Amino acid sequence: MTDHWAGRWRVPVIWGLLLLAGCLLMGQLEALFRWVEPDSRDVIFSRVDFLVLLGRHLLVVSVAAVLATLIGVGGAIAVTRPGGRDFLPLVAQVASLGQTFPPVAVLALAVPVLGFGTLPIVVALLLYGLLPIVRNTLAGIEGIDPSVREAARGMGMTSGQILRQVELPLAAPVILAGIRTSVTINIATAALGATVGSSNLGDPIISGIVNGNTAYIVQGAVLIALLALTVDSVFARLAPARRA
Amino acid sequence: MIELINISKRFGSTTAVDSISLKVESGEFCCLVGTSGCGKSTTLRMINRLIEHSDGEIHIDQQPIRSFKEEALRRRIGYAIQSTGLFPHWTVARNIGLVPRLLKWPKSKVDARVEELMTLLGLSMDEFAGKYPDQLSGGQAQRVGVARALAADPDILLMDEPFGALDPITRESLQLELRDLQARLGKTIVFVTHDMDEALALADRLVVMHEGRIMQQGHPLSVLREPANDFVASLLGGEDRGLKEAALLPVSERMMPLGTGGVARERIDQGASLREALSVMLWRRVERLAVVDDDDIPIGELSFRRLVGARIHD
Repeated sequence: MTDHWAGRWRVPVIWGLLLLAGCLLMGQLEALFRWVEPDSRDVIFSRVDFLVLLGRHLLVVSVAAVLATLIGVGGAIAVTRPGGRDFLPLVAQVASLGQTFPPVAVLALAVPVLGFGTLPIVVALLLYGLLPIVRNTLAGIEGIDPSVREAARGMGMTSGQILRQVELPLAAPVILAGIRTSVTINIATAALGATVGSSNLGDPIISGIVNGNTAYIVQGAVLIALLALTVDSVFARLAPARRA
Repeated sequence: MIELINISKRFGSTTAVDSISLKVESGEFCCLVGTSGCGKSTTLRMINRLIEHSDGEIHIDQQPIRSFKEEALRRRIGYAIQSTGLFPHWTVARNIGLVPRLLKWPKSKVDARVEELMTLLGLSMDEFAGKYPDQLSGGQAQRVGVARALAADPDILLMDEPFGALDPITRESLQLELRDLQARLGKTIVFVTHDMDEALALADRLVVMHEGRIMQQGHPLSVLREPANDFVASLLGGEDRGLKEAALLPVSERMMPLGTGGVARERIDQGASLREALSVMLWRRVERLAVVDDDDIPIGELSFRRLVGARIHD
């Protein structure tokens, strides 16, 4: 059992350790970055500790992901109930519209209303991350064999029991894939937050662009990539194990 | 007992079921037959309120079905469908135990009941309890579907073409088992099919539907012998009706005591149908068969004249 567990979680653990090592030991690679960026005085981003940036990055993405999941899954469930069916096309279209807006545009529109800081980036990530979740939840629920639902009703299950015991478990792998796409995209997109005063792993990148310091850009980009790989591999293993 | 009184169902401006009345006695096996779209499935699904009837009243054991909560009504009526509708994420055992769990039976009672049903339907516990529906053959899945329908020991069983998707051999063996099961358990069964041979083989009461109306109902033999109109006659097989009737009658019905002329060489089991006897005669080119019991001992004989029912004694 423990062997099984270790085998299952080996990949995410490796990516996670690489990410931590990257945050803690970036200073050790000074010689390498000096070679990349010989003209600058500082070649290691040091205004804020990488671990702190990582924490903030994770926080913003998590808050947006939790909200997007609650709203996305909740909304998709609501419009697949008999009472909400009329709104299904509307919700599907609004969710698609959310993703056609570039996050930068959402930020530009959100800042005047919400001010600088973390709130506008959370809103941008939420809107941007909603579509994959809504779309996959709809596909997951609509994709269930109608005879299964028919039998569930015929056996005397209440609509709540059908949702909890039949529809959600059967749609879960598809819904989870939607959340995974949403979160992975948003880990990269969240870096934009640095432009509106929300400090995270985007800081070194923006700072690098502003100051013409390629080493900073590389550091931010590598850490964001490692974070995305870690989280994505965790999701890959959350999918229900295929039974024997 | 199920009683439908002047039941109609309209979908928008179309009338799917048009003022039908039907009474199914307790322990009766009632088959609804008809062409596609004749309203037979709609009728079935109105009994457990998967479809609400527009007009009329449906009573179960003298009580109107609308006096029950929908879910409570369905939990006391077994339901099996052609596509089985087994939950793909649940094991066979869990699927079968669904309704008892909905009725909040204690776990030990549910487990015992699941085991009992699996045995009843010839599904070995060791082999099937932990399997998932996608690991079953069509016939096995349908057995599980029937077991699930019987799980909470309902008095009434509704079956919508349960064997429609099975190969002829599996279908026939499940029909025999169902017939046997019903005789033992005394369930009231309403069974929808468009397979006339299946309906004739199973039904105590045959209900022929056409365009939302009941054309004729009664015992299969009486419907066969006296169809109310040309539609019923053609649905029942037209010129094939003679064979269909013969399939319903056992050899013992027309058997004569052993004569003095010696025992015929070709044999037929006393439990076989007249149709099978006729087939043997055609195949063997003989006009006389010896009727034997289960131990292959001749107990009578059947002549071609007796088989076709010629009025020998007149």
